[in-house]
Amino acid sequence: MKRNNRLFIIIVILLLSNSIFAQLSPGDLSNAHKDLEGLSNCTKCHVLGEKVYNSKCLECHSEIKTRIDDDEGYHSSSEVKGKECYDCHSEHHGRNFELIRFDQKSFNHDLTGYQLQGKHIKIECNSCHNSKFSSFTVERKNTFLGLNNRCISCHEDKHNETLGNECQTCHSTKSFKPADLFDHNKTKFVLKGAHVKVECFTCHKNIQSENTKIFRIQNFEKCIDCHEDVHRGKFGNNCLECHNEISFRNTVNLQRFDHSKTNFTLIGKHANIECSKCHKESYTVKIKHELCSDCHEDYHKGELVKNNFRDCSVCHTEQGFSPSLIGIIEHTKTRFELKGSHLAVPCINCHYKNDKWSFLFNDISCVACHENIHKNEISDKFFIENGCENCHNSDSWSVNNFDHSKTGFELIGTHLKTSCRNCHFKDKQGNNVQQFQGLPKDCEFCHEDQHFQQFRINGKTDCARCHGYFDWKPVNFNHSETDFPLDGAHINVSCEKCHPKKNLKTGVFVKYKYEEIKCKTCHE
Amino acid sequence: MTKTVHRIYIGTFVFIVIFATIIIGYEGYSYYLTSLEERFFHESHQLFKPSGIIGHGLGIAGSLFMLIGVSTYMLRKRVRKFGRIGILKHWLEFHIFLCTLGPILVLYHTAFKFGGIVSISFFSMVAVVLSGVIGRFIYIQIPRTIEGRELTVREIEELNERISSEIKSDYNLPDDFIYEIEKDVRKSSDKKRNLFSQVIDQYKLYFSELSSVKNNLKKNQITGERYKQIVKLVKRKLTIKRRISQLRTMQKLFKYWHVAHLPFAIIMLVIMLVHVAVTIVFGYRWIF
Repeated sequence: MKRNNRLFIIIVILLLSNSIFAQLSPGDLSNAHKDLEGLSNCTKCHVLGEKVYNSKCLECHSEIKTRIDDDEGYHSSSEVKGKECYDCHSEHHGRNFELIRFDQKSFNHDLTGYQLQGKHIKIECNSCHNSKFSSFTVERKNTFLGLNNRCISCHEDKHNETLGNECQTCHSTKSFKPADLFDHNKTKFVLKGAHVKVECFTCHKNIQSENTKIFRIQNFEKCIDCHEDVHRGKFGNNCLECHNEISFRNTVNLQRFDHSKTNFTLIGKHANIECSKCHKESYTVKIKHELCSDCHEDYHKGELVKNNFRDCSVCHTEQGFSPSLIGIIEHTKTRFELKGSHLAVPCINCHYKNDKWSFLFNDISCVACHENIHKNEISDKFFIENGCENCHNSDSWSVNNFDHSKTGFELIGTHLKTSCRNCHFKDKQGNNVQQFQGLPKDCEFCHEDQHFQQFRINGKTDCARCHGYFDWKPVNFNHSETDFPLDGAHINVSCEKCHPKKNLKTGVFVKYKYEEIKCKTCHE
Repeated sequence: MTKTVHRIYIGTFVFIVIFATIIIGYEGYSYYLTSLEERFFHESHQLFKPSGIIGHGLGIAGSLFMLIGVSTYMLRKRVRKFGRIGILKHWLEFHIFLCTLGPILVLYHTAFKFGGIVSISFFSMVAVVLSGVIGRFIYIQIPRTIEGRELTVREIEELNERISSEIKSDYNLPDDFIYEIEKDVRKSSDKKRNLFSQVIDQYKLYFSELSSVKNNLKKNQITGERYKQIVKLVKRKLTIKRRISQLRTMQKLFKYWHVAHLPFAIIMLVIMLVHVAVTIVFGYRWIF
């Protein structure tokens, strides 16, 4: 019996020594708390005589305490408030016990104060809750702490700190691209017109890499900060004076536009016409303007092109197409100086032919304009190179400078006063027939023989034997040189006594020539 | 207490033990089969965990049952003052009942988590229970009076004789048949083997003798109620014979048994008190 008692005591001691000091614990602590194993550590969590108080847990878990004190995070949510720590985070369930376990898929993240939206709903928890994004300096496993609500705490700043840290003002959680919350109108540069439609990167070109795109533009107040000044500074820096955002070509404020700043100052009628008359397409489309014909149709159909150059300004100004600059004085500079009646003739009379204006004449002879009414009647001798100047001048149609003596028939006396027409134009059977060449010089060709051929000698009547050129008086007649010289009383006798007038049907017949000259011829 | 009342008495105990075992096992089946690391997340954790409303309650109830079962039996058995209250056999049965139900409840209280200092208490309890079962076996191997006093060898022999004459007179069997029975019953194993083997041999002998007697009865065309009654008496006779043959061994074993059963019970109680003290210190007070 004694031996049995001894054996029993040894067993008891062995059992107690092995267990009592080491294994008061109801089970192993989880891995996170394994350092707290041991009898001496019980009171680090437990309060003797009491259960485990939250304050004990929070003594170590100061981050949680801070968040609870700040009323932040899941542990400040209605779901957790009022609970004991051990209600969720029990212990003594073995080394492999998961102190933090919840259905990550059904966890209401809203309770953390950070509502999951968009893509955040779909991603795995550890995509964000991992040490890479944690603010803890020491890597800690199995914690969801260490993150903050700022996007930048997890996401790379694609803008290289140029747009601040408030990512959510532009990006939603649906996707990074496009930045659907971004409202360019809230920036200092409100998008208008075509700026609304262009791709962001058309303006925001500072792309450092595929992943790093810098959107902040330092200078954007002036259009030329982005746009090329196609006017090379000629119109200043305020593009909006002429252009708007709708289109570069959609110019505005045309009333204010100073065309004189261009290479083409608007003068005269150009100043008053609609812009679109010249700028058929866009105002910004360059138009040729060096020559009038760049815009204007050549009214003269190339007639005045000289050496391949058409200089309208020689004749016209911006004040109007008509009248032209060419006046009488200017006309003198041409090959055809206006003189005489030409000075009074309207341009149209000469330059408008066949329903069109014509200003360039190869032939400037009179017949180029005037009808040669003489046809071929004028001898070439007097009609050199179709020139009428031998007979006419520009002062009048009257022949006033023809030297009739060159014809062999010098005009003397009354012939000088007689119209050419009287001699050179004859009315023949109702037709006015002219004749300049081959006209006989005989008086009777023109003049009617009033004496009924009494003085005809050999078929010709030589009127000049009696008559001069100044009047019809027979100034050359000397009765003394006749067969019957006058003497005596005959001298004083009137002519009609001897040469009486006899009215015939064909005219007045005066008998000058008698067959026999005897007294009885006259006297009874 | 009549035989019927005793049966109800025992039946009630058995029913309670089995019912409690099944109902708690059924309700907590899922929880108890869950691994230790997962239990916290089980929906019944708050109920069935050792510190839960049910789990803790089971622990307290089981412990109290054991304390009551041990203390009442100890007092009835060892304190002269209580020596006349009820029959010791019934107290023993009550002791066995409480100290069976108690450990079962404590087993559920542990939620099958055996670790730490309290496991010593638990395994001590297991040892006490097992030793109790063994003790109960040894106990019944030693013929006793209804008060629990051990019978002497002579008293047992007389009992055996009485049964033989009962068979002879009540069932009017021929002498040669009685002789055959007696011959069968008197068979014994002469092999000297260890205690365990001896016990096994005794049981083997019991069943072979019983079989021989049954065959003999059938050969003599004894059937029906007569057959049953005779077999019953023969069983008693064989049991007495077996117990007489094992009496010394069992008496020796019973002495040893006391050495195991009681100390383990003390260890269990001491550590249980430590365990209770620790839980109170750490703030576990069940519903109080």
